[in-house]
Amino acid sequence: MDPVTIDTTKFRPVRKKPETALEKLEDTGLISTVLAARERKGLIFLTTVDQVFNWARLSSLWPVTSGLACCAIEMMAVAMAHHDIARFGMEIFRASPRQADLMFVAGTVTKRMAPRVKQLYEMMPDPKWVISVGSCANTGGPYHESYAVLRGVDNIIPVDVYIPGCPPRPEAWLYGVLQLREKIKNEGYGAKWGLNK
Amino acid sequence: MNAAEELKQALPASVVSTGMQVEKPLVLVKKEDLLEVAAKVKEMGFDHLSVVTGVDYVDRFEVIYNFFSYGKKENLVLKVVLDHEAPEVGSLTSLWKGADWLERETYDLVGVRFTGHPNLTRILLPEGWKGHPLRKDYDMSVEQFVTIGEDGEDIVSTDGSNLLRRK
Amino acid sequence: METEELLINMGPVHPSTHGVLRFKLRMDGEIIKECTVVMGYLHRGTEKLAEMKTYLQFIPYTDRLDYISAMPNNYAYVKAVEELAGIEVPLRAEYIRVLTVELNRIVNHLVFMGSLLLDLGASTAIMYGFREREKALQLYEMLCGARMTFSYFRIGGVRDDLPDDFMSKLNEFIKDMEKRIEDYKGLINGNEIFMMRMKGIGVISAEEAINYGMTGPSLRGSGVNYDIRKIEPYSIYPDLDFKACVRPECDSYARYMVRIDEMEESLHILRQIADTIPKSEVVATQKYGIAPLTGMPYTAQTYFPRIFIPPAGEAYSRIEAPKGELGFYVVSDGTTKPYRVKIRSPSFCNLTAIPKMVVGLKIPDLIAAFGTIDVVLGDVDR
Ligand code: SF4
Repeated sequence: MDPVTIDTTKFRPVRKKPETALEKLEDTGLISTVLAARERKGLIFLTTVDQVFNWARLSSLWPVTSGLACCAIEMMAVAMAHHDIARFGMEIFRASPRQADLMFVAGTVTKRMAPRVKQLYEMMPDPKWVISVGSCANTGGPYHESYAVLRGVDNIIPVDVYIPGCPPRPEAWLYGVLQLREKIKNEGYGAKWGLNK
Repeated sequence: MNAAEELKQALPASVVSTGMQVEKPLVLVKKEDLLEVAAKVKEMGFDHLSVVTGVDYVDRFEVIYNFFSYGKKENLVLKVVLDHEAPEVGSLTSLWKGADWLERETYDLVGVRFTGHPNLTRILLPEGWKGHPLRKDYDMSVEQFVTIGEDGEDIVSTDGSNLLRRK
Repeated sequence: METEELLINMGPVHPSTHGVLRFKLRMDGEIIKECTVVMGYLHRGTEKLAEMKTYLQFIPYTDRLDYISAMPNNYAYVKAVEELAGIEVPLRAEYIRVLTVELNRIVNHLVFMGSLLLDLGASTAIMYGFREREKALQLYEMLCGARMTFSYFRIGGVRDDLPDDFMSKLNEFIKDMEKRIEDYKGLINGNEIFMMRMKGIGVISAEEAINYGMTGPSLRGSGVNYDIRKIEPYSIYPDLDFKACVRPECDSYARYMVRIDEMEESLHILRQIADTIPKSEVVATQKYGIAPLTGMPYTAQTYFPRIFIPPAGEAYSRIEAPKGELGFYVVSDGTTKPYRVKIRSPSFCNLTAIPKMVVGLKIPDLIAAFGTIDVVLGDVDR
């Protein structure tokens, strides 16, 4: 029998290398429904308000410095050169919650600290997200039985992403950040504000 | 002669017994005479108060002071026994300033009162916390919550409804 | 000039309080009249938890006290229990212990240097500090897989022997670190702005420092030659050649310099250990507690099964941790759980002196003086 030859080029279409600025933008995958009018040489592109907003938001999240315990040291490690959170545009840790839109709850939330954490969250302007880092913030962790520790920060504020670990490794931390970006990508703030009409 | 025996010779009326705690000389002191003994201890050159420990033995409290002398490089352990109903002992803050917080901490967590302390308030737990956690009869099943009052100070209550999101 | 008194609240969420500490400051214009420290925002009830855990289960909690330098915490605790039970630790285990503790001292001082300079407004130093820290952490990962919370010590020894290529990696680290310390000295020590922020700030005399119970590098910055490794030698320190770093100036700059010098001394100790570490077991060969299952190989886990019962008694044991005297007072009643564990943490006792130190200074000086005390809030509040 003759050997069957398969022409692989038929199955794998060769991807065009992005060249123009618009194509590059499209290639990031962030603005997925860019209906660029190529015939008109990329002078117009269409998208939804949501996607543009979300893209802007997730590309520069500004966390508030709210290191509470051991995990905060790992937070510093993530922000430093070796792990470099600046790759995700979020190296600017703000001391003031008014200028931040992301909160890492990094560490043990004790009973005494809980109202302060809540206040901090309430002071942040909308839209805002919370990442709970470490077993302590997730559930109380090793201090679950303690009289002075709140068993999970989600008892007082809503949490978007949980990162387990005691403390989570920086890689886990970055993975959590990526998950949050994924989440923000699919949010529909425009619709909420009536901008889709 | 170690420091414990020296102390016993100087103040035979106030020292109940002497002994060793691992390798450190240990002196059991009458609680009424603690200040007097402490003054003598300081005179003997023990200038570093390492730690103040309170232990709840259900029928009694013990307060243990660990001293160290920079000059003589010696250790000394003082111990007083207090009764369980009203644990009270003199404060050493006038001799060692470092005793201030250590005693406040012992008051906070164990509930031993130090008479003559300039500011005997809770230090680690907020003012108003019920019970002293390191006592053996501390009730762990009662949840206490803290909220912030008008003036920014802590308010302790067992009702966490304005703090928690869901019941 | 007549001025109005002002109350300023700093913290508990403030970037330069190294965690959750709060200062209440009474100000006269720009001058601090009175400083009250409010703490307890990270009080996690560790001492109570100790009473609910077995002796072995408590080791991980000691990691989380001073989370920048966890090895010394492990060490202080197991040393207290060993003293209580009279356990002899094999020589190689002692060498490994001192090795990890000294490595941790370097890590601690790197973080100290970085965060102090960050508080003063120089954000480059922390990048350097964490770069080297990352290298040290890789060594720790080889040992026990964890980056910060090691739990590497066991009562009677350490968990595992050193991995095969550990020593070559350590030597690399030492070589690298020597150069780096020179870099830091060139960059920071003579820096004019840095000197202006540090010299003559937060002065505390030797007598006062002793009276307030300060220990460690903060005390040695006041000219008291007091290092527990020298004065009450434990472990293998008597065999090692190193000196206690002392500075007589009593100010923030002296405290900073003591720590930089200490890094060099620690490197020197590491070098000696790398040359002379003997071969032997890494856990005690006596049997304590409950006998291991028959037929099991003798490892740390089988020599020290989960249930370990020391004789009834009390012991206070202390070591020279990077931040000062770290002691554990352990009371045993002859059961599987400690009756009481009291932690004498260096940060808590060193912090006592802050209200005294900062009267008459300005707020930026408070940050400088506080930074050089080098506290960690997990250690203060426990
Ligand atoms: S999760 Fe672990 S490392 Fe993080 S704050 Fe809690 S105890 Fe510390």
